[in-house]
Amino acid sequence: MTDFNIILFMCNWGPHAAYQALQDTGASIPDNVKMVRIPCTGRISKALLFKSFEMGANGVALVGCEPGSCRYGTGTANAQGHVEDTRGILELLGLGKDRLQLATFLPDESGSLLEFLKRFSREIEGMGPSPIRPATELIPVAERDRAIEEVVSAHDVYACQDCGKCSSACPLTLAGKPFSPRAIANAVIAGDIDSPSVQKDVWACLTCGLCYDRCPSAVDFSGFIRDLRDILARSGSDRHASHGEFFQSLMRTMTSRDLEVRPWQWLSSDVRTDPGSKTLFFGGCAPYFDIFFKNFLRTRTREILVDSLRLLNFFDVHPALLKEERCCGHDLLWSGDRANFLKLAQLNADAIRDKGVEEIITACPECYSTLRRDYPAHGIDLGCKITHIFDFLEQEIDKGAVGFKGLDRQLTFQDPCRLSRLENRPHLPRRLLNRVAPNSFKEMKDSGISAICCGNSAWTGCDSFSKALQVKRIRQARSTGSDLLITACPKCQIHLRCAMEDPFLGEELNMEVLDLTSLLARAIHWE
Amino acid sequence: MMTGKEKKTSRLEIIFTGFGGQGIILAGRILGKAAVIGDHRESTLVQAYGPEARGGACSAQVTISDRPIHYPYVRRPDVLVCMSQGGFDKFIDQMKEGGALLIDHDLVQPRGFDKRFFSIPSTRIAEELGRKMMANIIMLGFFTAITGAVSVEAARDAVTDSVPKGTEEMNAAAFNRGCDYGLAVLKGLEKKAAGRAGA
Ligand code: SF4
Ligand code: SF4
Ligand code: SF4
Repeated sequence: MTDFNIILFMCNWGPHAAYQALQDTGASIPDNVKMVRIPCTGRISKALLFKSFEMGANGVALVGCEPGSCRYGTGTANAQGHVEDTRGILELLGLGKDRLQLATFLPDESGSLLEFLKRFSREIEGMGPSPIRPATELIPVAERDRAIEEVVSAHDVYACQDCGKCSSACPLTLAGKPFSPRAIANAVIAGDIDSPSVQKDVWACLTCGLCYDRCPSAVDFSGFIRDLRDILARSGSDRHASHGEFFQSLMRTMTSRDLEVRPWQWLSSDVRTDPGSKTLFFGGCAPYFDIFFKNFLRTRTREILVDSLRLLNFFDVHPALLKEERCCGHDLLWSGDRANFLKLAQLNADAIRDKGVEEIITACPECYSTLRRDYPAHGIDLGCKITHIFDFLEQEIDKGAVGFKGLDRQLTFQDPCRLSRLENRPHLPRRLLNRVAPNSFKEMKDSGISAICCGNSAWTGCDSFSKALQVKRIRQARSTGSDLLITACPKCQIHLRCAMEDPFLGEELNMEVLDLTSLLARAIHWE
Repeated sequence: MMTGKEKKTSRLEIIFTGFGGQGIILAGRILGKAAVIGDHRESTLVQAYGPEARGGACSAQVTISDRPIHYPYVRRPDVLVCMSQGGFDKFIDQMKEGGALLIDHDLVQPRGFDKRFFSIPSTRIAEELGRKMMANIIMLGFFTAITGAVSVEAARDAVTDSVPKGTEEMNAAAFNRGCDYGLAVLKGLEKKAAGRAGA
C-alpha cells in the first residue's frame, strides 16, 4: 500500500458498469484509488472537487459518461466546466492542475478505464504527495456560554438601549428579512443562543457596519457577530457558507506551509516590478475569483491588480510582488474561522518580514483593513506601513502635472464597506472620482457612510433577501441616470454582477461595472 | 533649456517679477540667501519697484555665481519667473535665447512665446493651503525643482529662516508643494519624451 491516495468520483450510470466489470474479473485496480459512487458528475461542484484536496487527497478523478450519453442531458457538460475551473485554481494555488482529471467512459469500456486508472495513479505518484496538510480543526470552545459572555462584554453589547435604530438602518431588515440586529443582541444577552433563529441569523448579517454607524450606544455589532461566529462554528453551528464553502476551503488550503503558491504567474511582462523594492504590492484573491466565476459572471477583477501596478509604474514605483502571497485571511476571520485566519496571517507575516519591506500598497479594501487593523489586533506585526493605493494616488496626483482624459460617461459609485465604513474613509475614493470626472459623477440615494452593502461579505449567508437588497441597490444606481457603476472592491463587483444575472428582471438591472483603479488607469496622463 | 537634471552653470541670472504684495522681493532675497548661506556661493540682489509700492509691477534681479559678482544688474536673464501678466509683458523680450520661463498658470498668459515654458498654479495652490500670500514660496519651490539653481535643502532652510516666526512650518509645506509640483512636471516631460504619457 502506497501512502498517497486518489479520490475517484464515479458516475453511477456509464462508467460504474465498467468499473464493476473490472472488479468482477479481479482486474488490478491501483490500490490507492478510493472510489466514491455518485449519481451524476454534473452534481460534483467545484466545492466538492476542491474539498478532497483540502482534506489531503493527492489526486482526484471525476469519471462520468461520454458527452451525449449523460442520463440527465447536461451532466457531462457541467462537469467539464467545474473541472476546468477547479484545475485553473489548483494551478494558481501551486498544486498543479494535473492532480485533477476528468474522464468519460461507456459501460463497456472497462479496458480503457483500467488503463486510465493505472496511468493516473502513476502520474500522481510521479508528482509526489500533496503539500496540503488538512487545516487546523476547529477546537471546540470549552465553556461556550462563558466565551459568549466575554464577547458580549468585549463589544459592550450590554450598552444597547433597545432603541431600534440599528434595525431601521439594516439593509437586510429593510429588504424584508425577518432579521433584527437588536433582537439578536437581546437574544444572546438573554442566553437564547441556541434558538434556531439566532443560530441562522448570526450567519446572515453582512457585517457591513451600517448599524454600528447609527447606534447611539456605539455597539459594534459587526465585530460582535464576527467573534460570535468563531464561537458558534467551534460549537458545531452550520456556517451557511455560499458556493458550498469553496472559498473558505480554498483559503484553508493556503494555511499549508509547504504549499508553493503561484499567485502572480499570470501577470503579463509589460508591468514593471522589482524584487528588491522596499515597496510591496499586495494583490489579494481576485485572480482566484476570476477563475471561479469565469463561466458564470465573466468577472475580470484581476484587472484591478494590473491597473494598480500600471498606476504605480506611471509614478515610477516598481513594486516587489510577494511570490508566496496568500489570502490575507479576511474571509476566514469574518466567517468564524479565526484559527486558520491566524495561520494565514502568520505565513504572510513570515514571508514579508525578512524582505526589508517598508511599505505595503494594496488596492483591496479588505486586505487593507485586515493587514492594517486585524493583523496588529491579533499580535501580528508586519513591521511596515500599510497604504491603500487610493492614498498613494491622491498624494501623487496632488503634486501636480497630472491630468485626466475626459470620458463621455455618467458615473455613480458603490462604496466598499471596509474602506468607507470600517476605516471611515468615504472621502478618499470621492476625491479621486472628482478629479477624473468632476462633472459627470452622481451619488446614489444612500452613499458614503450610509451606503448599502453589495450584498455579501465573507461568502456567508447569501439568500433571497440579500438578493432583494442587491436589486434595490442596483436600482438606486440606475436611477442616478448613470451608465457606469464604479466600484472599489473586487467583491462588490462580483456580488453586484451576480445580481444583474437575474433572468426575470433582465435588462432592467444591467449596468456596466468598472473598478475605480481601472478608471484612473485609463484616464490618467502627464500634462 | 536648463532643468534640474543639468549641471549648474557658474553664473546664473534670474529675474523674479510680479506685482507688489506678492512677495517677489522676499522670494529674491530667499533665493540669494540659499545660494550664499546654504550653498556657499556668491549672490547679489537688485530690487526694483514700479510707481506704486503695492499692486504695481516689481522685480527682483538675482545673480548667483561661483566667483565674485562685480555687476549686479540683470539685463538678459537665464531664468524669468513671472507672477503677473505685466511682468511677463515687460521682461519676456529680455530673456536670453533658450532661457527658462516659469509662470503662474492662472495669472500669466505667455502670449507670443512659442517655446517650452514651465507653469504652476501657485496662487491657486496657496489658496488651497489657506494663504494666498504664500504663492511666492510655492513658486520658489517650483523654481528650485525646475532649475536646480540652488539646492533644495538650502532653499528650504532659507525659507524657514526668512518668514515670520510661527509660520515656518506652513511655509516649508508650501515650498515642498511647489517643489513636488516641479518634480512632477519634470517627470511628466521625461515620460512624454519617452512616449509613455499614460498608465
Ligand atoms: S442601535 Fe444600538 S442601542 Fe439601538 S437597538 Fe441597536 S444596538 Fe441597541
Ligand atoms: S452589520 Fe449590516 S447587515 Fe449586519 S446587522 Fe448591521 S446593518 Fe444589518
Ligand atoms: S451574490 Fe452571487 S456571487 Fe455573491 S455570494 Fe451570493 S451567489 Fe455568490
